[in-house]
Amino acid sequence: MIAAGIDIGSITTKAVLLSEEGILGSHVRFTGYNAEQAGRTVLDELAAQLGLKRKDIRRIISTGYGRRSLDFADRALTEIICHGAGAFYQNSGIRCIIDIGGQDSKVILLDETGKVKDFVMNDKCAAGTGRFLEVMARALEVDLEAFPVLAVKATSPARISNLCTVFAESEVISLIAKGTPREEIVAGIHQAIAQRVVALARRIGVREPVTMTGGVARNSGLVSEIERELSLPIIENPLPQVNGALGAAVLGLRMG
Amino acid sequence: MRELEEFRRVARDPYTYAESLKKETGRPIIGSFCSYAPEEIVVAAGAVPFRIFGTRENITRADAHLQAYACSLARGSLEEALAGKLKFLDGTIFPHTCDTIQRLSDIWRLNAGIPLHWDVVLPVKLNTESARDYLAGVISKFRRDMETGLGVEIGEDALIEAVALFNRIRGNLNTLYEMRRKSPGLIDAGDLHAVVKSSMVMDRRDLAAKLEALVEALRRTEPRDVDGLHRLFLAGGVCSHPEIYSLLEESGGVTVWDDLCTGTRYFEGLIAESGDPVAAIADRYAIRAACPAKHASLVSRGDHLIRAVRESRARGVIFLFLKFCDPHAFDYPYLKSSLDEAGVPSMVLEVEEQLPPEGQLRTRLETFVSLL
Repeated sequence: MIAAGIDIGSITTKAVLLSEEGILGSHVRFTGYNAEQAGRTVLDELAAQLGLKRKDIRRIISTGYGRRSLDFADRALTEIICHGAGAFYQNSGIRCIIDIGGQDSKVILLDETGKVKDFVMNDKCAAGTGRFLEVMARALEVDLEAFPVLAVKATSPARISNLCTVFAESEVISLIAKGTPREEIVAGIHQAIAQRVVALARRIGVREPVTMTGGVARNSGLVSEIERELSLPIIENPLPQVNGALGAAVLGLRMG
Repeated sequence: MRELEEFRRVARDPYTYAESLKKETGRPIIGSFCSYAPEEIVVAAGAVPFRIFGTRENITRADAHLQAYACSLARGSLEEALAGKLKFLDGTIFPHTCDTIQRLSDIWRLNAGIPLHWDVVLPVKLNTESARDYLAGVISKFRRDMETGLGVEIGEDALIEAVALFNRIRGNLNTLYEMRRKSPGLIDAGDLHAVVKSSMVMDRRDLAAKLEALVEALRRTEPRDVDGLHRLFLAGGVCSHPEIYSLLEESGGVTVWDDLCTGTRYFEGLIAESGDPVAAIADRYAIRAACPAKHASLVSRGDHLIRAVRESRARGVIFLFLKFCDPHAFDYPYLKSSLDEAGVPSMVLEVEEQLPPEGQLRTRLETFVSLL
């Protein structure tokens, strides 16, 4: 059987198609204004790429903040449950997931069976999230993709003290005005986010091994900063951005 | 249900209720902040105690007096006073609880424009022998200060009558809670919240009769089916967000008991109806489970919470805190580890005058309920 997982996030919408044999394919597009439309389109596009019809898909599970907007989904599950299932599917040794999404960050603990045991979520502000990085990239006039490359070159990362997105942006602008090199600022931003997310993790207690999910996990500069802050290695998740959609598909497959 | 209508109306708009009560009866309305305000004395003085709940509006005036990291109850209540919405109050009582309420008392005295003002300086420990005597002294002093302020005499008979009235009220609120603990489908949690909230506002004699009528009506009511929902326990301070109850239900949970200022902490414990009424009022505070701004022993709050959770057969606890509420935040790590040791899952939710964005709130509640 084939199951679909659709993760409608605040910035991007992701779909994964999964069968008993494994992942058939995944697809990412921007969410935009209409979450329902984004969810429908991402699945249709992925199915078309794989030469599949809607009727070939037995189960559809939706997740992410827009999970309730899809009337064609069999079930809506929270992204915390789905990120747990996705990370566990990819590596059943994982016990802790740091998920940095577009508008919030979460730390999720798993038990030996892959079930979510505890979680903590930063929902106060955009600081330490994907959106924060996007705002900083705009202020620095560099592509987000270049952040890891720049961070490696830093020798003395700038100190970003204020982790409110709006105030941090003006802090970064002051650093730019002072002539601080871009790489030092980028490394400073990574450090600030890492400290913030590790502080969140400490509230529920980190369990090894740790992995990272969410689009921000693709930023290797930030990942190594979090490793340093945790004094622990981060086990690479091969599909961080579609991990939630994958987890949804895994749970769909399990429904039978 | 007809018996619920007035409670819903008062809870939705307590100001209009208080204003018209004052107009009709001419009785003074006395504001207060916390369950440590000795309402029995207020009623014995012929006045109406009125609990102040903060605001649901954005705060613009209070920020000139209070830092942004004071809790939304303190900031929001000051906002309401500065906006002139509490003009119907004749006076305000500030029991000595947390630091913020202490500081608010001074700011309030200078800026709120409410004529009468009483600080009730309670001891921090309430259950030692010397604290009991001291507490009885504080309540006696409050009685005299209230007599002076309102220009009345609070007679012994009036006090004894007030104590009996509050026992009726608290007994009936407790009965309602117990009925719902047994059968959560009997009355919606949001409605029960409205009942408790109105109980802190309404004319207490009228209230006592209405509570009795409600209990009777519920005895004849067939409960709604809530079998699929997980039993939950709410712990924390003031809940000004009754919509949380329906969000919880939509997430698969139903609250069955609480340890909240706007819940059991208001009505827990009866007052002995024999002997000196002032000493008896003090004794209720000494015996009752302490709030986090008071101290009973190193383990009493955790023990109390676990006992209440077990009695309620709740599967999990949601801590509902006002952001920047120090006393609750200081106690949280200890209470959470007590629950962890007892194998009770918990999560914490911090709120201000508005709830967090609904999407993220639902994600957290749904996930928590699905873990149970």
